[in-house]
Amino acid sequence: MGMSSAFAADGDLNANLAPVALNGVEGSGTAMVKVQGTMITVTMAASGLLADSPLAAHIHFGAEARNECPIAADDLSADGTLNTTEGGPAYGPIVVSLTKTGDTSPASGLAVERFDTAPGGNLSYERGSIQVSEEEAQAIADGKSAVVIHGVDHNDSGAYDGDVMSDLDPALPAEATDPALCGVLSAAPVGSMATGAGGAASTGTDSGVLLAGTGLLLAAAGTGAFAARRASSKA
Amino acid sequence: MQRVGRRGIFAAAAAVLALGGGLTLAAGLGSNDDGPPQPNQGPTAVPDIDPAPDSVAAPVAPAPGQAPAAEVTDLGPLLAASAPVAIDIPSIEVHSTGLVPLSVGADGVLPAPADYQAPGWYTGGPTPGQLGPAIIAGHVDGPAGPAIFYRLGELVAGDEVAVTRQDGTVARFTIDSVRSYAKAEFPTSLVYGNTTNRAELRLITCGGAFDRATGHYVDNIIAFGHLIA
Repeated sequence: MGMSSAFAADGDLNANLAPVALNGVEGSGTAMVKVQGTMITVTMAASGLLADSPLAAHIHFGAEARNECPIAADDLSADGTLNTTEGGPAYGPIVVSLTKTGDTSPASGLAVERFDTAPGGNLSYERGSIQVSEEEAQAIADGKSAVVIHGVDHNDSGAYDGDVMSDLDPALPAEATDPALCGVLSAAPVGSMATGAGGAASTGTDSGVLLAGTGLLLAAAGTGAFAARRASSKA
Repeated sequence: MQRVGRRGIFAAAAAVLALGGGLTLAAGLGSNDDGPPQPNQGPTAVPDIDPAPDSVAAPVAPAPGQAPAAEVTDLGPLLAASAPVAIDIPSIEVHSTGLVPLSVGADGVLPAPADYQAPGWYTGGPTPGQLGPAIIAGHVDGPAGPAIFYRLGELVAGDEVAVTRQDGTVARFTIDSVRSYAKAEFPTSLVYGNTTNRAELRLITCGGAFDRATGHYVDNIIAFGHLIA
């Protein structure tokens, strides 16, 4: 990885996918991304989605975006639903298309025949070796990107239909591209956890008690061993 | 670190015995509390969980005359999102209905629960039963003695953990391994990353020697498990 470059983004990220405001999806899911240099692996599971219709899913990021999921106030048209364009100020443009096969660039953003469907409303997705740019890898590793699954059923018809056409492709109903679930890919916490206060610690590791209890005897026996132990416990 | 500490004790005990009249003190040392239970792990500190596969396993060829099955990534049993409200670990007598949410601070560190008897769950990760590793952490002890996860190091592979969720469902996990890691070498990817393409559980507490100078244990004990139903 990057033998000629100092660049090395690495990290494990998780997005808790939640319903996009206003769009009426009662679903949830998680998406995990492992970043290794400029290669990412994406694993995702979600439920409560429209069954058996292709669900376009992407990683979104924009340097100018808020790097979050859209809220009701992003409905600039005030039509009561959020379309993909209205979500843009929140999550930015597509940087990776989470297709099953072939190209994963933004150009495949609406390649409906290469996206997963959700049998019974449940989506399962896994794809490795997705190449991204250094800037994109860094943005993802830094927790600035979002996973968005598109495809809703505003009128509960069980299919993509309705009179409103998509803001992205006038040949598609808006239902096919409106965002359903969204979650920010957050970086894993840093380091260890401080889950103890020592109240039940072994007295064998408590030099204070040990020294108090055996001080006189130690003085007689010489403190070499204890000096060595204390020094090493500070290392 | 701990071994060095034990050698120190033995050295002290030997000194006591050599000087005579130390019988009471020696007996006292022998019956001293050894501190929280530690996992009985092998010589290696590598948990026996599979590395993330590079690709989805090849689908099994359909039987003749059968329509080919749809190509679906198998992620095992999964539950929808729902916050955990209770945890039961019968083998170490942990029963808590007081789970608290934990989130990372500005420094990126995940703080432990403020209450020594309350387990905390990491809200930035999956809820227990969703795809990925759900994190539940608890103190091994407080200033006054044992805390909620005091006996976590006693867990062994096959032990069960039941997490009750806000939606009323119970996520049942089985423990796969229990390991101790130096905090300086905390295995972030193994704990928080996707390692097995299924719903997993991580129980975290402290272990190893207690460093009075820093006021912290030197290790984290981590129990790894996966969802069975």
